[in-house]
Amino acid sequence: MLLSIVIFLPLLGVIAIALLRGLGANAVKWIALGIGLLTFVISIGLYTGFDEVIVGFQTNSDLFQKLDWIPGIGASYHIGIDGISLWLVLLTTFLTPICIIAAWNSVEKGLSGFMMSLLALETGMLGVFCSLDLFLFFVFWESMLIPMYFLIGIWGGERRIYATIKFVLYTMAGSALMLVGILALYSQNNSSFDITTLQGPFQQANLLFLAFFIAFAIKVPLFPFHTWLPDAHVEAPTVGSVILAGVLLKMGTYGIVRFCLPLFPEAAAHYTPLIVPLAVIGIIYGALVAMVQPDLKKLVAYSSVSHLGFVVLGLFSQNDTAIQGSVLQMVNHGLSTGALFLLVGMIYERRHSRMIVDFGGLAKKMPIFATIFLIVTLSSIGLPGLNGFVGEFMILLGSFVGGAFSKWYVVLATTGVILAAVYMLWMFQRVMFGIPDDINASLPDLKPREIAVLLPILLFIFWIGVGPNTFLKPMEASIKEVATKVKVVPETPEVGQVNRQADTDDAVQEVKTATLQMIQMIEEEALTK
Amino acid sequence: MPSIPDINWLQLMPQLVIVATLLIVLIFDMIDSISKRTLGWMTIVGAGIALWSTINLLQVGTDQTQFNEMFRVDSYSLFFNIIFLVSTILVALISISYLGSDDKKQGPYYLLILLATLGMMLMAAGNELIIVFLGLELMSLSLYVLAGYFRESPASSEAGMKYLLLGAFASAFFLYGIALVYGAAGTTKIPEIISKLSLDNQPTPLSTSPLLLAGIFLLIVGFGFKVAIVPFHQWAPDVYEGAPTTIAAFISAGPKAAGFAAFLTIFVDALPNLPSHATNVIVLLAMLTMTVGNVIAITQTNIKRMLAYSSIAHAGYVLIGLAAANPDGKSSAMLYLFIYCVMNIGAFGAVILARTADGENLMISDYAGLGIRKPLLAMFMTLMLLSLAGFPPTAGFVGKLYVFKSAVQAGHYWLVIFGAVNTAISAFYYLRVVVTMYMREPEEELEFKPYPSTLVIGLVIAAIGILLIGILPSLLLDQAQNAVQSAPL
Repeated sequence: MLLSIVIFLPLLGVIAIALLRGLGANAVKWIALGIGLLTFVISIGLYTGFDEVIVGFQTNSDLFQKLDWIPGIGASYHIGIDGISLWLVLLTTFLTPICIIAAWNSVEKGLSGFMMSLLALETGMLGVFCSLDLFLFFVFWESMLIPMYFLIGIWGGERRIYATIKFVLYTMAGSALMLVGILALYSQNNSSFDITTLQGPFQQANLLFLAFFIAFAIKVPLFPFHTWLPDAHVEAPTVGSVILAGVLLKMGTYGIVRFCLPLFPEAAAHYTPLIVPLAVIGIIYGALVAMVQPDLKKLVAYSSVSHLGFVVLGLFSQNDTAIQGSVLQMVNHGLSTGALFLLVGMIYERRHSRMIVDFGGLAKKMPIFATIFLIVTLSSIGLPGLNGFVGEFMILLGSFVGGAFSKWYVVLATTGVILAAVYMLWMFQRVMFGIPDDINASLPDLKPREIAVLLPILLFIFWIGVGPNTFLKPMEASIKEVATKVKVVPETPEVGQVNRQADTDDAVQEVKTATLQMIQMIEEEALTK
Repeated sequence: MPSIPDINWLQLMPQLVIVATLLIVLIFDMIDSISKRTLGWMTIVGAGIALWSTINLLQVGTDQTQFNEMFRVDSYSLFFNIIFLVSTILVALISISYLGSDDKKQGPYYLLILLATLGMMLMAAGNELIIVFLGLELMSLSLYVLAGYFRESPASSEAGMKYLLLGAFASAFFLYGIALVYGAAGTTKIPEIISKLSLDNQPTPLSTSPLLLAGIFLLIVGFGFKVAIVPFHQWAPDVYEGAPTTIAAFISAGPKAAGFAAFLTIFVDALPNLPSHATNVIVLLAMLTMTVGNVIAITQTNIKRMLAYSSIAHAGYVLIGLAAANPDGKSSAMLYLFIYCVMNIGAFGAVILARTADGENLMISDYAGLGIRKPLLAMFMTLMLLSLAGFPPTAGFVGKLYVFKSAVQAGHYWLVIFGAVNTAISAFYYLRVVVTMYMREPEEELEFKPYPSTLVIGLVIAAIGILLIGILPSLLLDQAQNAVQSAPL
């Protein structure tokens, strides 16, 4: 029951706001915040009730529910969580109240509609992460499009209509394919949509894999499906960007680890030689493009493309450590990039510009802002001691040591870490240092409300960085299950797949130390700056 | 010496109630001292009683034929009766305010709607090609008049004329098809034709008889015209645009369902026994219909024309269920038709709700800013359009998914991929209206009429129906599946 309450409480908030919006803007805000916080508090119960020994989905009746829904076509209301979805659920319930506070004064028109969209979106996202029925999954997957469409389209920037339609059409094109895939799986699964009973191998597994994978790759977004993302991010209101980067993109990577890998391990291995280069291209391309962006928001958007490339790389490595790192990195990226978008939004509200050239010397007048910005920037780069490092390190280590692809891909991917330091620190330098002009000198520092928005995120940035085991332990059993399913695949030397033995250990070791040294150097340099 | 068959009149209650209502409307229309605005309510009450008796019959679970096996009273025809009666009630609700207070216009209007409804019920109940044809003509003739009902408007007259000419052509094709099928099979009874088709151990099996195939294809052409599938769709946009908006809603809903009711009766059971070309033709028609309808709808600037092309595309989705030619396909097409009727009438109702003092607002650009100035109207419109586009948790999603599911089970993967891609295309033009309403600023201030209460009631019913079916599809799905199981094979 607990899980159902968490999923549908925000929807209750939507109805409450719809009925009570006559009470005025303040009442609407407090209702939304109250519902958002209540959802988060209740969702903590998911963590305390979580039993990390259980392999697969939790069996505790609080965290699991199955009801007949449409027996005529074999769809049921079937929800539950495992170690993979646990943190994504908590991330969602954590970010939503933060977004509500962040939007407190920045929404001028249609506030009740804004809050309703935000809460409806939360229900949709939670539903996606908790559904154990393909039909239910697809319902949530599609229905979460509508509130996001309104968030970008009504409260967005100048080119919002273009951006929102592009976002919806890209996603729908992907989900159209996934729908066919779902129906094909369904007909091979005794006419049942139940995810827990899905057992491979499936006929036409390669095609089914692609049907699912393309839908998820668009959502991630994996290069070359990423073009909707910068538009959507730039035009979306701050809160929309936070949710988009923080949670929506994770639905893609979540889909990969929930469906693509365990259901079609052979097909996943078959397409790994194709997908991994795309992920690596995404890492480097995203970083290079981010480097030259004049717009802060676009820079952060392209950095997402780069960071999520790491996640995809780790997911396809067939290695426990890397997969675990990927799942953790989903959460990390949600926190760091979410915080970055919030910070960019705060500075935009003051300066009404997001162009890097318009800024300079902010650190002098806005010390609190500059400090928090620095911490988040370093977390995004992957400084040891902060959350980003743990995830990226596990991904790179796992896929280097036990990856199902050539180690050179990992080496190339590692340059993404360096490039991240380059574009983030360069941006930080241009915005924060130097002598402020008159306008920049007059900008006020963060208000208590804004600090309250950022502090919880900072807490987790440090917590994951220092004590990652709290977060890694609960997901271990589920990750192992996925990894063993994926590993069953016998290694077939496909075209383009390099034999692991070909790389001699010496060369590997050399590259490893050199890369790590380089990272260290860059980071030291960053710190000294 | 032909004997007069026993007739169980109780089983004909729905049809009899409609006949009684239309007689009452006819008589009351001639009494001058009665306000003619009550005629609309009489229609609604009459159709409501018919609906109630239909549901009663459905619960008892009859599976019989009347009039020498010419007329079926089974859950299949009763399910379609529900579609027709719900459509009629909704259309009457949105018509009451639309017709205004002009007394002369009221009587014939409701009379013709009831006659058309009776025709549709005959088509769904027809166990016999001749009965189907009689129903088709009764329905079509009423609709020709209704399409041209606003005599003073040239567009309406043109719509009526065009519909009459092309419709008459289609009827001729249909009748010729019946003649050829009769020539080949020696009977016009649908179950007999189908059972003869399945006997393929004869020296010259019926399923390969050129006469029969020619007849079948002529029937497809005739049906194709009536339900507006590509390439027989050209009349639809002009008629929808010119006809009174309420009638456009009516034509796009009930008659299409009726056409498909007969189409499904004949073809779902016959297709497996026909040469595979017949299935290929249906698959091809479905692909063409969806694609042409959706692609042309993108370019429309007039909302009625856009809805016309969208309704063409929706006929394509129903054809997917037909092409699947399995029990699930049949029940999915039935479910889809029900949902489609409700949401399409709802969408046209929202168009009527957006009327201004100086006429109808038919350009999509006129809807700019409605989201803020007329939130209720924009909400209805958005809900209907989202349902037409097939977004969960609306009924449109359930309908599409079930149709696709049946086609996947029949192995028509390409057809489903086509359908799914078309859904994405259709989202573009449906959402464009939503974009205009919520995200664009109005160019000029328009004076909107106050909301008429009957229209709002109709829209509320449609909206609740769409959400209810979207969230709890079993309410309707089980009925549709039962109806198919009980139908004689």
